[in-house]
Amino acid sequence: MTTTEARPTERKPPQLVDMSWDPITRIIGNLGIYTKIDFANREVVECHSTSSLFRGYSVFMKGKDPRDAGFITSRICGICGDNHTTCSDYAQQMAYGVKPPPLAEHIVNLGEAAEYMFDHTIFQDNLVFVDFCEAMVKATNPGVLARAERTESPRGEIHGYRTIADIMRAFNPFEGEVYKEALKVSRVTREMFCLMEGRHVHPSTLYPGGVGTMPQPTAFTDYLARLMRVIDFVKKAVAMNDDVFDFFYEALPGYEEVGRRRVLLGCWGAFQNPQTVDYRYENMNSWGKDMYVTPGIIVDGELVTNNLVDINLGLRIMLGSSYYEDWVNESPFVTHDPLGNPVDMRHPWNQTTVPVPQKRDFDDKYSWVMSPRWYDKRTDSHLALDTGGGPLARLWSTALSGIVDTPYVKSTGHSVRISLPKGETLPETTLEWRIPQWSNTIERDRARPYFVAYAAAMALQFLEEAMGMVRAGETKVFENYEVPDEAIGCGFHEAVRGVLSHHLVIKDKKIANYHPYPPTPWNASPRDMYGTPGPYEDAVQGQPIFEENGPDDFKGVDIMRTVRSFDPCLPCGVHMYVGKGKTLTTLHSPTYGANHG
Amino acid sequence: MGNIRVGRAQAKPDTPAHVSGMHQGNHGRYKDQKGHHEDGTADARRSTGIHWKRHDVLAETMPNIPPG
Repeated sequence: MTTTEARPTERKPPQLVDMSWDPITRIIGNLGIYTKIDFANREVVECHSTSSLFRGYSVFMKGKDPRDAGFITSRICGICGDNHTTCSDYAQQMAYGVKPPPLAEHIVNLGEAAEYMFDHTIFQDNLVFVDFCEAMVKATNPGVLARAERTESPRGEIHGYRTIADIMRAFNPFEGEVYKEALKVSRVTREMFCLMEGRHVHPSTLYPGGVGTMPQPTAFTDYLARLMRVIDFVKKAVAMNDDVFDFFYEALPGYEEVGRRRVLLGCWGAFQNPQTVDYRYENMNSWGKDMYVTPGIIVDGELVTNNLVDINLGLRIMLGSSYYEDWVNESPFVTHDPLGNPVDMRHPWNQTTVPVPQKRDFDDKYSWVMSPRWYDKRTDSHLALDTGGGPLARLWSTALSGIVDTPYVKSTGHSVRISLPKGETLPETTLEWRIPQWSNTIERDRARPYFVAYAAAMALQFLEEAMGMVRAGETKVFENYEVPDEAIGCGFHEAVRGVLSHHLVIKDKKIANYHPYPPTPWNASPRDMYGTPGPYEDAVQGQPIFEENGPDDFKGVDIMRTVRSFDPCLPCGVHMYVGKGKTLTTLHSPTYGANHG
Repeated sequence: MGNIRVGRAQAKPDTPAHVSGMHQGNHGRYKDQKGHHEDGTADARRSTGIHWKRHDVLAETMPNIPPG
């Protein structure tokens, strides 16, 4: 079993109350959490995570020109669309056998670094902190707020807030200082993104084979000027987060149990090394390890593998509680990978999506999300990996592998050291993220500002190298290629909230099969055919309740903190929904050439 | 689409996005895009049409960076 073991406690007779949150919003509301809470023992007994949205990208991608894939899949998400474009381009570059020039890789990396900084900041400071702000803590745990008023903040000289309660007040939505400052920072970081990728969030200058960004010196200096403006905010954010989260452990003993799950983390790696990446499947293990965020699968704190080929071959898409027909009796698209290894029928390369809409039944089928799992050969089990909201898995995997060694970021085997230069007010600072004891709500949230610092530090290196190339006149950013008649490709990248893979099969120069697997299908997956619950369900199930309110005015803040710590975002979680079947408009692409219909 | 009842298809089956006669983007159009060289480098003509020769490098050994 891959689930977390139940915690032994002295039991009182249960007092079960059904509680549900549907929708939980983040962009669009289609995530529902249905729980049974035992108020006598103050814990969650059962949890189901469900999604009511079907989208069908893998269905309507079939038969399209593969070169369009990056532009179409970008529309999966309205916040991390560029991660999809990037990942799709990686998959296409493998299929077409083309390697973009190094400067193009730097431009993509710089765009992605700005995206991580933007998205983590807006999510952490404008959405996560609503659950930790003064107004919320006052409504749910007045005792904790009173203690926060009396507690000095240990890193006050960095961020300038004297007590923990002062920080919490700065988190208050719409009026708190941090909330307002974060909005400005997210604007500046989006400008940085647009300098590199043309438009946020659906990039206009990323193509397979390179970029369309004009590599002129000002593009990089404009980026650098903006980066230096936000660098002090990043240092302050890390200090504030550490203060508040340490305080929660201290003020609410046992809070580490909230959202705790067995350490089952997956990271598919980000930031390609322009010198070594060639997008050949045969060499994927070696260029995968050269990525500036090391890929890896971590089970119980141990690194199982950081080979992308092993990660790829272990992917299994399971059904069990999802509204789909099984595809095992269809004929496979890919029986062996380019290295000759057999490819499972449940691998995304062979998947066929056949939706079967039906009534929601928590004892049978209850979600449009499938259950992606990773097959662990050692134990013959299908692991329900989570992404820890993205940063936790990325930092953990990078730290354990100990490969990344750059001027600004260094992985030590047990921690990640990030050096940030002097900013407007704060001096040069080295931050160190250490592997935590648990994979829980607080640690998922704590890792986020550290990864913003990581992205900022990597961006500095990419900028220096890119400007060096421009000064040397190496301004080539695109490589020609031909679309092959038949090919397969896979792309591994990190969306902001975790693992992202795109699997592509081309036949007759058209897409025969295309399956994007973003982070939320991993995190929000329902129970699979073996009954293993998905990460949200597993993390919430059995978690203690610290909220002081009873069943009548229960807000469920502990449960919400857990679910939100994974950075839930369901538009990507399920693969058309227009009211009662009303057709809005009928369109057909391409728009050129009337004879094409 | 499995056993789902669907209406009559109104859209024609998708065709490749490329329309013949349109530039594909896969091959550089060096004739039309002045200032871009086949080896991926560029000169000042890329970014300006005004006195561009005066903005080019003085010596062959220097890298040619077009003004921004």
